[in-house]
Amino acid sequence: MAACGGNWIRGSGRKEKKHMASVTLEHVKKIYDKNVVAVHDFNLEIKDKEFVVFVGPSGCGKSTTLRMIAGLEDISDGILKIDDRVVNDVEPKDRDIAMVFQNYALYPHITVYENLAFSLRLRKMDKEEIHRRVIQAADILGITEYLGRKPKALSGGQRQRVAIGRAIVRNAKVFLMDEPLSNLDAKLRNQMRAEIILLRKRVNTTFVYVTHDQTEAMTLGDRIVVMKDGYIQQVGTPQEVFDTPVNLFVAGFIGSPQMNFLKAHLTKEGSGYAVELLGAKIPLNEDQNQVLAKKGFGSKDIILGVRPEHTTVLFDNTQNAIECTIDVNEMMGSELHLHLSSKNGDRIIVRLPTVDLTKEQRSSLAYGNKLYITFPAKVVHLFDPETEASLING
Amino acid sequence: MSEKNKIPEVDIVIDQEAGVIREVKPDKLRSKKGHERRVNTSIYVTLVLMSIIWLAPFVFLVFQSFRSYLTESGGMVNYLLPKQWSLDNYTWLLTDPSSDFLRWYGNTLIIALFCSVLQTFMVLSVSYALSRLRFKGRKLIMNVVLVLGMFPGFLTMIILYFLLRQLGLTQDGAVPGLILIYVASSGMGYYISKGFFDTIPKSLDESARIDGATRSQVFRLIIMPLAKPIVIYTILMAFMAPWGDYVFASYVAFGSKPNYNVAVGLYQWVNVNDYQGYFTRFCAGGVLVAVPVTVLFLALQKYYVEGVTGGAVKG
Repeated sequence: MAACGGNWIRGSGRKEKKHMASVTLEHVKKIYDKNVVAVHDFNLEIKDKEFVVFVGPSGCGKSTTLRMIAGLEDISDGILKIDDRVVNDVEPKDRDIAMVFQNYALYPHITVYENLAFSLRLRKMDKEEIHRRVIQAADILGITEYLGRKPKALSGGQRQRVAIGRAIVRNAKVFLMDEPLSNLDAKLRNQMRAEIILLRKRVNTTFVYVTHDQTEAMTLGDRIVVMKDGYIQQVGTPQEVFDTPVNLFVAGFIGSPQMNFLKAHLTKEGSGYAVELLGAKIPLNEDQNQVLAKKGFGSKDIILGVRPEHTTVLFDNTQNAIECTIDVNEMMGSELHLHLSSKNGDRIIVRLPTVDLTKEQRSSLAYGNKLYITFPAKVVHLFDPETEASLING
Repeated sequence: MSEKNKIPEVDIVIDQEAGVIREVKPDKLRSKKGHERRVNTSIYVTLVLMSIIWLAPFVFLVFQSFRSYLTESGGMVNYLLPKQWSLDNYTWLLTDPSSDFLRWYGNTLIIALFCSVLQTFMVLSVSYALSRLRFKGRKLIMNVVLVLGMFPGFLTMIILYFLLRQLGLTQDGAVPGLILIYVASSGMGYYISKGFFDTIPKSLDESARIDGATRSQVFRLIIMPLAKPIVIYTILMAFMAPWGDYVFASYVAFGSKPNYNVAVGLYQWVNVNDYQGYFTRFCAGGVLVAVPVTVLFLALQKYYVEGVTGGAVKG
């Protein structure tokens, strides 16, 4: 273990060569007693120094998967490798991983210094090295002045820093974080999120991060793994997952406010396709036509998805615009979130920047008034109403 | 502070801390205060009476122990305070060649010390395992133990005697025999400490295991320091039970005088021996028996109330 000391990041940011640390999950399953399946057939390769975020609603199996990587849960089936070494039956302490828990899990009976030093002492590291690492970690996280305190004398944010510090001193191959920010208030959460991005640059190692917050997932991850009901829905960079969601769930989960889903009809006209909804007809573009033709789709009912930020709001009716009534007008500062309902009762949310609005326009955005929205073909997402899969992506 | 808490003479007070004007009706306040005082007084009177009733036998015991069996009377008398205070009983107990008291005291102390170490280890290990590990049959074990615990221990007395006898652990072997009996079934008393362990967040264990600790290191370095109050409680209970035990001790050591524990030995004096002659010495023995337990309790009581889990997790 002492050999790992060389990888420690110096204050100057100088980095030394570090062993590889990839994590591979092959057909990993978690089945609890009574045949409750928490994770189905999980396949993923996490590359060395990659920051992967598992995101999904509660109960989707993301934490269970993380705990399997940590060794805190048995793996029911499949293979887990860290650095090409199968670790299914390896004790957590021998996996060379560090983990930050949602509730911090600081040892309450010892000081912050001892909390940080705990893992190093267990490894019988010499005292000077322990001291050096503890001081360095404390320095990175700005908790030097609290080293002599017990955890109960710290605020939530400080405790979270200590928890992260405890992982840093280890200089482990893989960093696991289980919803580390969800116990903090909104302001502190934003601040710590930025700090985690900085931290990641400094300790440059493999990160696996679990969250239910899509904003955290988008801002932190190199790649996002969107999960639901124990299945991986989509794996991709934040941009990919945002731009080309493979199904309704991913489309709805990533992005805030969430994507609007409207009943529509896909019609084939010659070599091209168009989408008809609420009296509007939107011809699809070349790329979309090609994919649809290649997959051999005919005319059919579909669900059309369009993000609130991709709609254009018009105050007067034009051709192919969709007529809506305003339900709620939420003032967000630089923009408005308008909750609208269409003629057949679909609910639509649109984002409207306030900067270009005239006074008259603003005052017309009141409950019950009419409004028209349009959107170009390139921003629409098409989904099959039965399989919920995207017609274009995936 | 004092200004505000005084019963005001006016109807309106300004609570400066809260920055509000409060209307107060002095009469109502006064009568409320008076009511409180009456309730408190009656509570204290009751408590004092109860403690007098509760303490009286102990006080009488102490008085008797200071009445000389040589110059006054060693038996029962119809007065409480000794006419002349003397340490004759204690001197006899501790120094007279015909007194086995020190031997018995030693036997009991050995049994109690062994028990407090072994039993604490057993109880805490069982509790930790049942609290933290998930294994097949865990629920079954807990239920069986619960049901078994409903039967009084005396039911096993006769069979235990014969078993111990086969092992040579009765009479001359009574001390190790008793240790064996007390410790063997002690794991069944896991409820309280398991309940305590259950309140220590599991993520502390997990965190320590990831930090590189083995299960036993988690137990020793994390759980034990956090469970200090319950460890102390378990030690005290493990010490007390054999210290005052009469039933098991009397039949396991049956007839073998040097292997009695204090309870059995002292009872022999007032039962078999000259009851009128040994009574004050019996009382003195009782006082000496109470000493270590009292000292233990006084020394360790602060740990009872000391909660140390604060700050472990968010909260």
